[in-house]
Amino acid sequence: MGRYDFSPQRVHAHATQLLAHKRLAIPPPWYSIIAFVPPSERLTRPPLQRSQRPGGKKASRLFKPLRLRYEEDRLRWEYFNDHPWELAKPRVVLEDDGRDAEKWDWSIPLDHALNRPKSGATSEEGVQLDLEWDSIQAGQAGRPINGEAVIQRTHHLLSTGLPSSLASSTALAEFARHRHYTETLLRVAREEAISTGAFFGPGPLEIGMQLEDRQYDGWKKWAEKEIVALKQLQGSAYTGQEAEGGGQDVVALEGGTVGGEEGVASEELQVVGGSVPGSRAGQEARGGVAVHA
Amino acid sequence: MILRSLPLRHGRLALPKPPTPVRSWRRYLASEVEQTYTNPHEDQQFIAGGIDGTKSQAIHSLTTPTTTTASSDDQVKHDWEFFHHQKATTGKLGSAIAPHYKPHELLSNPPRPQDITLELLLASQAHIGHSTSLWNPANAKYIFGVRGQHDPIHIISLDVTAAHLRRACKIVHGVTERGGLVLFVGSREGQAHCVVKAAKMAQGCHLFTKWIPGTITNGQQILGKCRKRVVNHLDEEVPGFEDQLLQKAAVKPDLVVCLNMLENYVLLHECALNNIPTIGLLDTDCIPTWVTYPIPANDDSIRCVQVIAGVLGRAGEEGQAVRRARARRGRMPARQNHELEAPREGEADARPLEKEMALLLAAEAFEEEGVEVKEDEDGEGEEGEHLDSSLSGAEGLDVEEGEGAIPYERDAPIEGGADSGRVEFSPVVEQRGEVRDEGDWATEGERRPGQERTERP
Repeated sequence: MGRYDFSPQRVHAHATQLLAHKRLAIPPPWYSIIAFVPPSERLTRPPLQRSQRPGGKKASRLFKPLRLRYEEDRLRWEYFNDHPWELAKPRVVLEDDGRDAEKWDWSIPLDHALNRPKSGATSEEGVQLDLEWDSIQAGQAGRPINGEAVIQRTHHLLSTGLPSSLASSTALAEFARHRHYTETLLRVAREEAISTGAFFGPGPLEIGMQLEDRQYDGWKKWAEKEIVALKQLQGSAYTGQEAEGGGQDVVALEGGTVGGEEGVASEELQVVGGSVPGSRAGQEARGGVAVHA
Repeated sequence: MILRSLPLRHGRLALPKPPTPVRSWRRYLASEVEQTYTNPHEDQQFIAGGIDGTKSQAIHSLTTPTTTTASSDDQVKHDWEFFHHQKATTGKLGSAIAPHYKPHELLSNPPRPQDITLELLLASQAHIGHSTSLWNPANAKYIFGVRGQHDPIHIISLDVTAAHLRRACKIVHGVTERGGLVLFVGSREGQAHCVVKAAKMAQGCHLFTKWIPGTITNGQQILGKCRKRVVNHLDEEVPGFEDQLLQKAAVKPDLVVCLNMLENYVLLHECALNNIPTIGLLDTDCIPTWVTYPIPANDDSIRCVQVIAGVLGRAGEEGQAVRRARARRGRMPARQNHELEAPREGEADARPLEKEMALLLAAEAFEEEGVEVKEDEDGEGEEGEHLDSSLSGAEGLDVEEGEGAIPYERDAPIEGGADSGRVEFSPVVEQRGEVRDEGDWATEGERRPGQERTERP
């Protein structure tokens, strides 16, 4: 092929030619091992991908990689559409040895941590329920209880034969109970810490307010500059006495008291107390264009 | 608090006397822990100090005579053993931490080729490919499927990855076993540590910065100042080749392992031009024909890169061990294309230091004088002028001709060039060859029957 350079795949053949024509005295160190373990085939297509929906597939798509679909995907779609803010909760996807998913037993309810039986309780067969709970918790306490846990629990309940509505409602109820417990726990812990002298930095709302304040200050500086520029632009068109009116408007915007200037420019300012928007004269302009007496 | 009689309060008599000197430190251990430690210094008294009896200070009994300084060494040794015994027995008390992922272990103790499992590759995120719109269709057979609704990505088949990785390990093992030089290259952020570690294990070279284009094809210029040495089959340096090595270009690697193929396309092209086999980490957007042995995996995950570099480094380590064991038993590796001559023994022994000094002075003098072209004929003179103008640029170097003009040495780097003094290969570039008498040179390499013989035309 013209576009491709296959010389990396032909190193052994090339070396054989060089040896045959005495360009190389002795074979390089990799010669025998590459003969023993040759390079793999390149630019070959994978076997024909049988699509999950037979018929109607374009020829170009027959050799493309398939979309992987699992049953849990439908559950994820439904759950996260109903609870979009669960996607904002951070989730650890780091794995230890690749078999992390095998550790978790989804037949155990999601709120199992809240359901410890009373000490000494025994079932009908004589099983110590509290010790059984302890042994289960020893292995399953590290289970992450989040939106993904709801989906896995729902999937397990469906596989046991429960109808889908019951399975999802059971899992959601367990999750809600667990989430309520942990949120209360965190809130109480925070209150206890504050009561014993701890202090926390600004929370997300406070930080948001600080960022907004900073943006507002920046906007205000920009707006002042814009008004001065606008005044100069308009002032250059006029000749004469409008300069004081422009100065008045700037002062009015800053919110400073106009008591000092009132006497000077009183003939410029009109009493706007009686202005009515819908009247014939219309509402008097406050600031902006200079107002004539 | 007013302290009176302080010495009395803190004297030895004020401390509670342990009931049995030998057992004093045992009281503080948990009852279920077995004690199998026997105290060799049972005649000495111990004072249990510290909160839980961890500190014990042995004192000589007042009745026994003071022994010589030898017993103090025994005491130190005894304390040391006691410390380790206590650590072994009590260290596990408390919470049991389950085995988990420790990132530093990929560098300090990388996995071996025998440890390659699909689970390991999955945990290292080796299956995560790029967006489907960025793929190279030539990699279709390495891809398991597509995952994602809005921004779909390709998922690389881990069984294919494992198979290709094991094949690459065999190659690295075989090349190092036969005395080849492996170069590990990884120029992305975070790849430096694993590249250096892999090169150390395989006793090869590493590169974690940009590959200077022309390092192989123009090696005489770029690596002209590279330090070289000749070692024998037992990896001991052999003197006597210094003058030959001055004229020699740097050694080309026998195998190149590249951890980021897309950025190092120049390196891979130079290897193809010089018939050097390459191993490369192939992501879904890389071109598979660029390398001899691709390993389809995720090159954006540092953990994945560390696993693969570690595994290949371990394979190199095993190959080196096999080679060294064979060399110690007397089975030498095959002869190599080093084109070195055995040093004449008279010159080698006589005044080596003066010879070295003379060579160094000559090299320095050459550098100071700059490039000078000897005008022999008209054609060469023109070439020389062209060469001069290209080298000097704005400043015009006078082309001197004279009897004392040093001819242009092709091995020395260009004076004032952009890359003068920069060496990208690791400083030690070894050439393995065996130094023997001239009579043995003809028969060298034919000791070992087998593959080498059948390859001879």
